[in-house]
Amino acid sequence: MFSDYGQIFVFMLVAIAFVLVAFISAIILSPRKPNISKDATYECGEDTVGDTWLRFNFRFYVVALIFIIFDVEIIFLFPWAVVFKELGMFAFLEMVVFLFILILGFVYAWAKGDLVWDKPSPIIPKLDRQIFKAD
Amino acid sequence: MNNFTEILKSINSFLPELSVITTLLLCLIADIIIRKKSPIVTIIAIAGLLVSAYFVYMQSAVQESLFSGMLVIDPFAVFFKYLFILSSIIILIFFEFSNEIKESTHKNEYSYLILSLVLGAFLMASSVNLLMMYLSLELASLTSYILAGYSKSEKKSSESSMKYLIYGAASSGIMLYGMSLLYGFTGSLDIYEISRYLATNPTPNAFIYLTMIMIAAGLGYKTSSVPFHFWTPDVYEGSPTPVTAFLAVTSSAAGFSLITRLFLTTFLGSTQIVDGAFSIIAGIHWQEIIIVISVASMIVGNFVAIWQKSLKRLLGYSSIAQGGYMLAGLVVADTIGLTAMLIYLSAYLFMNLGAFFVTILIVNKLGTDDIEQMKGLGYRLPFVGVAMAVFMLALSGIPATVGFIGKFYLVTALMKPGAGYLWFAIVLMLNSVVSLFFYLKVVKSMFLERADNTDELPGIKFSVQSYIILILLLIPTIFFGLYFGPIVKLAESSAVLFGIR
Repeated sequence: MFSDYGQIFVFMLVAIAFVLVAFISAIILSPRKPNISKDATYECGEDTVGDTWLRFNFRFYVVALIFIIFDVEIIFLFPWAVVFKELGMFAFLEMVVFLFILILGFVYAWAKGDLVWDKPSPIIPKLDRQIFKAD
Repeated sequence: MNNFTEILKSINSFLPELSVITTLLLCLIADIIIRKKSPIVTIIAIAGLLVSAYFVYMQSAVQESLFSGMLVIDPFAVFFKYLFILSSIIILIFFEFSNEIKESTHKNEYSYLILSLVLGAFLMASSVNLLMMYLSLELASLTSYILAGYSKSEKKSSESSMKYLIYGAASSGIMLYGMSLLYGFTGSLDIYEISRYLATNPTPNAFIYLTMIMIAAGLGYKTSSVPFHFWTPDVYEGSPTPVTAFLAVTSSAAGFSLITRLFLTTFLGSTQIVDGAFSIIAGIHWQEIIIVISVASMIVGNFVAIWQKSLKRLLGYSSIAQGGYMLAGLVVADTIGLTAMLIYLSAYLFMNLGAFFVTILIVNKLGTDDIEQMKGLGYRLPFVGVAMAVFMLALSGIPATVGFIGKFYLVTALMKPGAGYLWFAIVLMLNSVVSLFFYLKVVKSMFLERADNTDELPGIKFSVQSYIILILLLIPTIFFGLYFGPIVKLAESSAVLFGIR
């Protein structure tokens, strides 16, 4: 009756309808008696502390990006190693070129100082007088 | 092993791209070693581009398919490769002149960013596979996002980079969706296969329109055509001026190469050219979409440019309008139209780069690109002012400049008897009249208006090198306007797409 895409379309319609029916029936049928503990953010029964929007240090992303590059390198190296014997010298040179470009990129990131992990220099609060007297 | 030997064979014809890649790596190594701003890196980049130009020249008359039908070499691609190499060499020189770049904390990074965009543009000009098209477009786009935010300390530059990135990501996403629909329907990513399928199987019109509009969204963003142009003025204003010139010329030329190849090849009924006209599958009217985009670009570009106060924004809207003119060459779908488009692109290269070079010089001295601030400037820098006047007249298409030749050939192509595009030619000409107003507004501000204290202000001097570059850009703008044989001949021999004859 339907082509392949037609079936996907029907599936999509059913999926949308399912969500809508679930939501609308919940709105219509559910009783509404809000109180403070019901409105609170759910954190496994604990009281909420602080903000959920934490800031990550940007350097994590740089390290993650460099990790991905070397991760992809492994994906290329595996099939190459499997058929290495049949391909011979040319494949070896090819891979040397590839690794050279990759390592050049790594050296570049290094030379530009992107891998330097600055240690935070927090200002430790100091007091002029002692809190507990030594006597 | 069969594929393996084919890849090996293809590498021999891949030398222009390979030399660009090698140069890119050399520049990178040189930058790491030198560690400070130095012209050596730029010289390496220019030398590498010249080597690449030599390899491109060796492929002048070749028609070949590479990497199992991923890329092709044909005169059309070769023409665009010349265009990319020439414009990026000029822009590499621009970078040496701009103060905006000198003040930036990055030193030589622009040289290999430019090379990477050139590589993307090379691949865009020669790819015939939907995936390859998308990948090359992304390579070019990602580099241009970085270039747009080149002056990191400038808030405007970062803002323009961010806007460009978000807009680019959205439109290339839409284009990818259109491509996936086309693949889902025809079962192939190769545009020749797709055209064969569409020619033999009846296809619902609504589907074709949907995919065409989606693909046009991605490509229209690259060529900054209306209604996908919203990034253009902001990015042009915010980026450093040499980057703006690069985006306006090289990057949009790459977009035109892709849009032309994609639309002319994908919807072909047969690969025979009859009387110079490409045979398009009956019932598929892709020209209608291009006409809408083209007319909208001309009208919006020209009319909005009238109100601009910033010279870079004005040039931004001007390039939207110019893009509209160039798409007119595609609408006719014959070799004359294609030739006219190529002629216009090469004319556009000289006059637009000239206008941008004058902008760089003025921004260096004034520190602003506000047209109001340029009152009476023509008397303080007479030669540069006159040069600007020439470039502005060329952009509006006044005879005896190269811009006129471009428009002349476009209008001739549109007035082909029986094609029914006469009204389109008239719209194009009326738009040129409108454009004359804002192009001359710049000249008027420089020469006819005077600031209160013009006479007291000292004349502005530039270095000898800047005058030489300016003259080198002025000569082709005027010379090819008077003696346009070579350009026309080159364009005529280049209007050949792979596999269509």
